[in-house]
Amino acid sequence: MNSKQRDYRTGSLPDRFPLATALTPMQDSADPAYESSEALSRGTLFPGLDLPFMNVVNPDLPATPMTEMMAIDFVVHELGLYLDTHAEDDEAFALFQSFLAMQKEARRRIIEICGPMKKTDLIGADRYTWLLDPWPWDYSGRKER
Amino acid sequence: MFVYEKKLQYPVKIKNPNPALAKFIITQYGGPDGELGASMRYLSQRFSMPYPELKGLLTDIGTEELGHLEMVGAIVHQLTRSMSQEEIKEAGFDTYFVDHTAGVYPTAASGFPWNAASIAVKGDVITDLTEDMGAEQKARTTYDNILRLSDDPDVNNVIRFLREREVVHFQRFGEGLRLAMDKMDSKNFYAVNPAFD
Repeated sequence: MNSKQRDYRTGSLPDRFPLATALTPMQDSADPAYESSEALSRGTLFPGLDLPFMNVVNPDLPATPMTEMMAIDFVVHELGLYLDTHAEDDEAFALFQSFLAMQKEARRRIIEICGPMKKTDLIGADRYTWLLDPWPWDYSGRKER
Repeated sequence: MFVYEKKLQYPVKIKNPNPALAKFIITQYGGPDGELGASMRYLSQRFSMPYPELKGLLTDIGTEELGHLEMVGAIVHQLTRSMSQEEIKEAGFDTYFVDHTAGVYPTAASGFPWNAASIAVKGDVITDLTEDMGAEQKARTTYDNILRLSDDPDVNNVIRFLREREVVHFQRFGEGLRLAMDKMDSKNFYAVNPAFD
C-alpha cells in the first residue's frame, strides 16, 4: 500500500518521543493536494489539513482571471510554507516550480486585464495606471473582472 | 523590505452593508488575537531565531498575516459603507462611529485599542514557537465564534478561509518546533536557549 495514501492525515512521529515537548507530527508529503481553485476556496492546498468548522465548506469561487491568479498565487504561497519545513522534498519543489511557471503566465494575463499588481508591472507602460480603481478593498458591484 | 501587491489573497465582495457584523469582526483587525498582532508577533520574533527554517517560516507567515489584516479591513470597510444615522444607531455601531466614523481602526470588539501586550516576543526558541501555536489556536477560536454570530455568506466565506489558514499555520509552527528540537540537546531540550546562548 502506498504510504502516502495511508498516512496523509496522520503524518509521522518518532518511535519514542520525549516528555515536556509539544510534538506535532510532520506532514509526510505535499501529495495529495487539491487543484488550485479548490485549494483557494478551502483555504489550504492539503486535504490532510482541511478541518472546517461544523464541517461547512466554502462554495467554489466564480472563475475569473483574477480568481485564477489568486488560486495560483495561493498554491505558490502554501507550497512555500510547506517547503520552509520540508526544504529537502524534491517532489514538492518540482510542483512549486511548475506553479511558478504558471504564475508568470497568469500574471502576464491579469496585468493586461486589470492593470498593474505591482508598481514594477508598469515597465514599458505608456502611462501611470497604478492609481486606477478599483483598489482591492473596495466593493465593486460591477461584473467580475 | 516589503512590496505591495494590489490584490487580496482571497476576494472580499460583500453585497449587503451590515454595521452590526462590523462591530465584532473588527476584533480580528486589532483585537488580542487579531491579524495585526499576528503579523507583529511573527515579524518581530524572527530576528532572534537561530535556524533558517524558523527565520523563513516567521517571515512568510508574518507576511501572510499582513495580507489577512488587509482582508479583515476590507470586510469592515465594506460592511460599513453608506450607513444611515438610523442604521448606525440600530446596529449599536454608534460607540465605534463616534470615535472613528467609518474608518477602520485597530481595536478589539470590546473597544480596547490594539495593544502589544496581547503578543509575546520572548527571545527563546521553544517559548516563542509555543506562543505561536497558541496564538493560531486563539485566532482559530475567534473565527469559530465569528461564524457562530454571522449569517452573511459573503462574510462567512472569507472568515472560513482565514480560519483554515490558522489551522495550516499551527501545523507549520509545530513542524518548525520539531525541526528546532532536532538541532537541540535531545537529553535536555531546556539546557540552553539557542536564540541566546
